[in-house]
Amino acid sequence: MKMLEEAKGKWAGALNEVVIGATKEQGGTRTSTVTVGGEKTLPFLAYEGPTKNRPVVAMEILDRVPEDWPKPLTDALGDAVKSPAEWAKKCVDQFGADLICLKLQGTHPDFGNASPQAAAATVKSVLAAVGVPLIIWGSDHDEKDNEVLPRCSEAAKGEKCVIGAVKEDNYKTLVSFCLADGHSLIGLSPIDINIAKQVNILVSEMGFPLDRLVMYPTTGALGYGLEYAYSIQERSRIAALGGDKMMSMPVICMIGQEAWRAKEARASAEEAPGLGDENMRGVFWEIATASALLQAGSDIMVMRHPESVAAIKNVITKLTK
Amino acid sequence: MKTYSVTFLPEEKTVQAAAGKSILEAAIVAGIPVNSVCAGEGVCGKCRVLVKSGKVEAEPNSFLTRRDIQRGMALACHTYIHGDVVVEVPLESRISGVPQLASEDAIRFGRISERVGEGAAFAHAPLSGKAYLELPLPNLTDNIPDQERIYRELSRHREMPTMHIGLAVLQKLPELLRESGWKVTALLGYRGRTTEVMEVEPGDTSARHLGIALDVGTTTVVAHLVDLNTSETLTTKAKYNSQISLGDDVISRIMYSRTGERLKQLRDMVVGDINDLITGLVMDVKAKFHDVTYVVCAGNTTMVHLLLGLNPANIRREPYVPCAATLPVIRAAEIGVKINPRGLLLALPCVSSYVGGDVVADVLVTGMTDSEELSLLIDLGTNGELVIGNADWLVCCSASAGPSFEGGGITCGMRATTGAIEHISLKPDGRIDEYSVVGGGKPVGICGSGLIDAIAELLRVGCIDRRGRFVKTECGNRLREAETGEREFVLFPGKATALGKDIVLTEPDISNLIHSKGSIYMAAECLMAHVDMTFDDVKHIYIAGGFGNYLDIERAVEIGLLPDVERSRFHFVGNGSVQGAKMALLSQEALTYLQVRIAAAMTDFELSSDHKYMNEYSSCLFLPHTNIEKFPSLRGKYGKPAQAEGARARA
Repeated sequence: MKMLEEAKGKWAGALNEVVIGATKEQGGTRTSTVTVGGEKTLPFLAYEGPTKNRPVVAMEILDRVPEDWPKPLTDALGDAVKSPAEWAKKCVDQFGADLICLKLQGTHPDFGNASPQAAAATVKSVLAAVGVPLIIWGSDHDEKDNEVLPRCSEAAKGEKCVIGAVKEDNYKTLVSFCLADGHSLIGLSPIDINIAKQVNILVSEMGFPLDRLVMYPTTGALGYGLEYAYSIQERSRIAALGGDKMMSMPVICMIGQEAWRAKEARASAEEAPGLGDENMRGVFWEIATASALLQAGSDIMVMRHPESVAAIKNVITKLTK
Repeated sequence: MKTYSVTFLPEEKTVQAAAGKSILEAAIVAGIPVNSVCAGEGVCGKCRVLVKSGKVEAEPNSFLTRRDIQRGMALACHTYIHGDVVVEVPLESRISGVPQLASEDAIRFGRISERVGEGAAFAHAPLSGKAYLELPLPNLTDNIPDQERIYRELSRHREMPTMHIGLAVLQKLPELLRESGWKVTALLGYRGRTTEVMEVEPGDTSARHLGIALDVGTTTVVAHLVDLNTSETLTTKAKYNSQISLGDDVISRIMYSRTGERLKQLRDMVVGDINDLITGLVMDVKAKFHDVTYVVCAGNTTMVHLLLGLNPANIRREPYVPCAATLPVIRAAEIGVKINPRGLLLALPCVSSYVGGDVVADVLVTGMTDSEELSLLIDLGTNGELVIGNADWLVCCSASAGPSFEGGGITCGMRATTGAIEHISLKPDGRIDEYSVVGGGKPVGICGSGLIDAIAELLRVGCIDRRGRFVKTECGNRLREAETGEREFVLFPGKATALGKDIVLTEPDISNLIHSKGSIYMAAECLMAHVDMTFDDVKHIYIAGGFGNYLDIERAVEIGLLPDVERSRFHFVGNGSVQGAKMALLSQEALTYLQVRIAAAMTDFELSSDHKYMNEYSSCLFLPHTNIEKFPSLRGKYGKPAQAEGARARA
């Protein structure tokens, strides 16, 4: 009996490889580095080619106590959330985070308005507490970010962090600092593949190297635009494999941030008695969102709950076996 | 209700207005042309007036700075009269000046004598005819009725289809024939398959035989007076459409026209413009209104509806259904157009709600349907229309480009009239190298072609990035922060301008133009994809529309408005609308061709439901395009090579 031939995709392009973190020999103080990207096929199609660098899981921490996070989430994280350094350490030592993603939400004028100096000190404390590479996000307030992030970039000089985010309307300041300090950048675009590419072009036209760029095409959680996010990521991966150099950046997904925004994750048992165990709903929401987006082609999964982190790391291991 | 007097300066024209009426309403009554892009909705900020004295109440708005308000500046549409007031309408808020007529580039297409007449594509056979008749006197052996006697004589000289005659003419016919000694001139009007004896005049008037070709545009109305015997264009005039004060684009006009009274108001405005133009034309050549016997007009579907008083409401609503596409021949007097009272008026057929008779006329003028070679027509305006095809087929679509090509929605934007910067080039440091102003003199503002130049040049010298945002380090002291918090680039400092006010460009200005150019380019791409072809297959690209004439093709490609193909493939059509109307006026064959081979043969492709348009539009919101491969001649012109620049910011 004749077997059907395997339908193998043949691709001209590959994703860029981005190295995050620098060890002592590389001019930093990290004990480990992370490499993402480099894929030459659609995700996890082992018969077309191996997964060059498996997706990684970063855990999200804040520079302030996450008062508005749901209780099941903060319970799982414990008292460590009171100190970013402690929190980061716990994520790495106990929960196995590959990287730490520090969100400087406390610098936002509406959330404490922490000074650039304070933010830089927080960055330093986290770097001192853990050996894994660091992702640094601003507070999504353009003007404040333009004051805060340059100071953080400077404070972390040589550590090859990933700093974000640059947008098509606000990128010049951050690009020039990250270029000088050796960091990588996250380019943010609002679920639009064309704008994602435009951000990459604008940043690269300032002389920023393409292999230091990560794309954040925005994430939608299950039930909250997941299919849009999926479709955009899939199209961007296909464009990259088709040889589009301006679309060949690895993708970062803010899984925890979006999943824990969902009503189904946040609502307490009293508010939504029909939705099931309130301690597990958010975890499941994170896992469902993350496992779907892994299939679309994601490289850095930023998550919040230790149990979802463990579950997704397991999924990644199985998919790349 | 209490009324107050409102005096407008500098005209010193005073009108009475009821308490609580807006200054804009009073201005319309007074016939003072005030710019109002948004039809008085209070969202465009263009109807600025200076309240010199008197009591008014103004609604707060975001367009005026504190200094403006202290000076007495107000928005005419949202400032209400509560006392006798004196208002000055400054130059910047006026719809004034005379629009430019087609440039020299368009002359090739303007010479319609090459296409109409002996040995040309279309035989000379105007829609209106004059036949001098010396009728045989009736007697007992030849006693057919007067009317039939005229028909018989007419048929003797030419092949006549079915004829008919109006009651008013019949009523005076017996006396007229006998008083004129049976020597009369019959005025014939072409009405499709029938010919009407519009009028019978005593004696021989056949030497004086005039017609009008009209382009009824959303922005401008252009009229040509044509000698129907010789095909010669005797004189031409243009004027802004008075409806502008009730909205800049067709959508705002449709929205305004929602009551019968307002529909009539709009019709009266454009008819008034047409009559002004006709009066001027007729006076120029010392002719009589009586000698003008036929008007052919071309306009977009909405303008034709408004001219004929047809309700345009459904043009705007899905599924976008006009009242009529093929319009009946009417007596011009029925809508108030002043020519010979028995004279006829025909509007060229439209294709769909957003592809009108103006585009059909453009196609006729380009001659693109004569050739097997593929041509693309782009009519640039507030509403852009595109047609692709050849002798065998035609597919068209329309794309709403917004008013920025006409200077609308641009801080210092204006139409291409006296004082508008129409071309500009910059030195490497972003300072003005060369520029030209319509009518010479100091600039007042910037029109579409100048804006395209400015943006292409700012991009070339690095003052803006490909997204259209200012690059602070390159702009130097030309960039400043306005009171509104917006950053603005000073193109011309106040001392160099006619109004003493700086001419600036803001990021939202640039963004508006990018959206306009993006919608045209995207429409062109979708149209090409729809017929499964590429721009390389297109042998000729015709640029039509008043604005098109002054366009610098190179700059238009640099910003991604036009496709990057060999520049020799581009041709300017000029005002194809009025030229096409004129061809139809002069040749029944041309009219039939236009109706059958163009309007009826054109397939309308609706872009609003096209997935490609939705998915890829944002890729066009970049200079020239997100995918630079589509603009091969511009490749490698932007940005710095990776890591060539170090850390400038910290230094």
